[in-house]
Amino acid sequence: MDSLLSQIDSLGRFVTKNVEYTLRVLLMVYLSVRATVLDQAQGFRQIVGVISAQIYFTGWQALPLVTVLALGTGGVLILQSLSNLTLLGGTQMIGNFLLVMVLREAGPLLVALVVIARSGTAVASELGNMRANREIEALESMGINPLSFIVFPRVIGGVISVLCLAFYFNFMALIGGFVITRLIQDMSFAFYSDSLMRAFAKEDVLIFLLKNGFSGMIIFVVCCYQGLSVKKSPHEVPQVTTQAVVNSIIFVVMFNLIVTALFYINQLRSLGVV
Amino acid sequence: MKIESLKFEGVSFSHDAQDPVVQNVDFDFPMNEILWVKAEEGAGKSTLLQILGGLQIPQSGKFLINGENVVDMSFEEFLPYRLQIGYSFDYGGLINNRTLRDNLMLPLLYHKTVPAKEAKARVEELINLFDLSKFAEERPAHVPGRVRKLACLMRSVVMRPQMLLLDDPSVGLGQDSVYTFVDHLHQLRKDGFLNHVFISSYDEKFMSLMSYQIIHLDEGQLYFQAVDPEKRVVHL
Repeated sequence: MDSLLSQIDSLGRFVTKNVEYTLRVLLMVYLSVRATVLDQAQGFRQIVGVISAQIYFTGWQALPLVTVLALGTGGVLILQSLSNLTLLGGTQMIGNFLLVMVLREAGPLLVALVVIARSGTAVASELGNMRANREIEALESMGINPLSFIVFPRVIGGVISVLCLAFYFNFMALIGGFVITRLIQDMSFAFYSDSLMRAFAKEDVLIFLLKNGFSGMIIFVVCCYQGLSVKKSPHEVPQVTTQAVVNSIIFVVMFNLIVTALFYINQLRSLGVV
Repeated sequence: MKIESLKFEGVSFSHDAQDPVVQNVDFDFPMNEILWVKAEEGAGKSTLLQILGGLQIPQSGKFLINGENVVDMSFEEFLPYRLQIGYSFDYGGLINNRTLRDNLMLPLLYHKTVPAKEAKARVEELINLFDLSKFAEERPAHVPGRVRKLACLMRSVVMRPQMLLLDDPSVGLGQDSVYTFVDHLHQLRKDGFLNHVFISSYDEKFMSLMSYQIIHLDEGQLYFQAVDPEKRVVHL
């Protein structure tokens, strides 16, 4: 009985802790949007400057890595699907299979992981160091709200970068992957592109925007929050950076899972199964 | 926005699980003075200055500026006062990804309190005055500690505020820089700026360069001690 109670107790603590964490992160989002709207001194040029720097670091500089990842993923998936679908006699389904695998599932997750590893860590450690070096306090003392000056532009820049990277990833995985596969397997481009176009639906656009847009937001909001959670000492910076990576991955995976589940249920409903 | 009065009413503040820095303090701060904040090591002088600068919010009580309670104000509501308060940190505080010149320009350009041309001229004048031209285009990590400290002090006065909060201003400075800074401080006061100056320091030599009054922070309470500027005799 005691062990059951202690298990319920620890489960309760776990849930409360995570709900509190989520609420704190959401509060930071609200406050940074509010600060940006109310901050009359911060000019449009200043915000655009930080946003473009973030896009450069997160989006542009990640292109080589995403290219390799997309070509590899695309090539492997096309090869596997082609050989297996041929065996099952369903080669026409290659478009549907690839769209589901690349555009809906693998793309958002892999891009999010790349961004967390490259930029999430950078943002968390940058803000953590700023906190330890009292730069955040210095900004406040100069009448500059750190939430509108630092957090808001980074989140917006991050969301735009993730959307652009995801679009590039999908393009490279579907087209570049095919070109690579073409070297070892015989398949006409007309057949491949036709199969993809037939499989493409408006839900794919919605899933793309939803998954990638929110993943970008989750990553940068969580990493900014963790970075700002440093109290005084630089020794906390690596700790919060690790926590930022862990939390971002958990939140992104959970979100992707929920969106996929909702679309799956919706699909079943439209087929009249449920 | 002119700062005319500063008052604590039942103010208490403590850091997590530590002894209170101030506890239920009622205190009317003397205005138009240079106030030397004295206390034992670790008693909370820096925290007191941060409360006065609006960087820390008291956990209870009222901190009144011109009769308005800072505790109830949002960041935006406090901003007009904040722009009249200069703050220099005991360590750190410079923005690391900007050059020293950009650090000095930041508050002026952000708030557009003066035209860009004037801001540039004002910063240039300060850089020349403190002989920092050699380091002006360097980032804080690439300059000696003395220069970083000086840049932090310069930034606190670049907006020419009415109130100045200096946390251990002389630590790490060379004697020449100390004299230049104190001269500049006196000059700005003569020109009608830096009306209310709060300095936390252990450096009696530095403090002897100006006429001051003393505030003691002792066991969570504040005490005022008048000092005769001519004789430096303490009137309790």
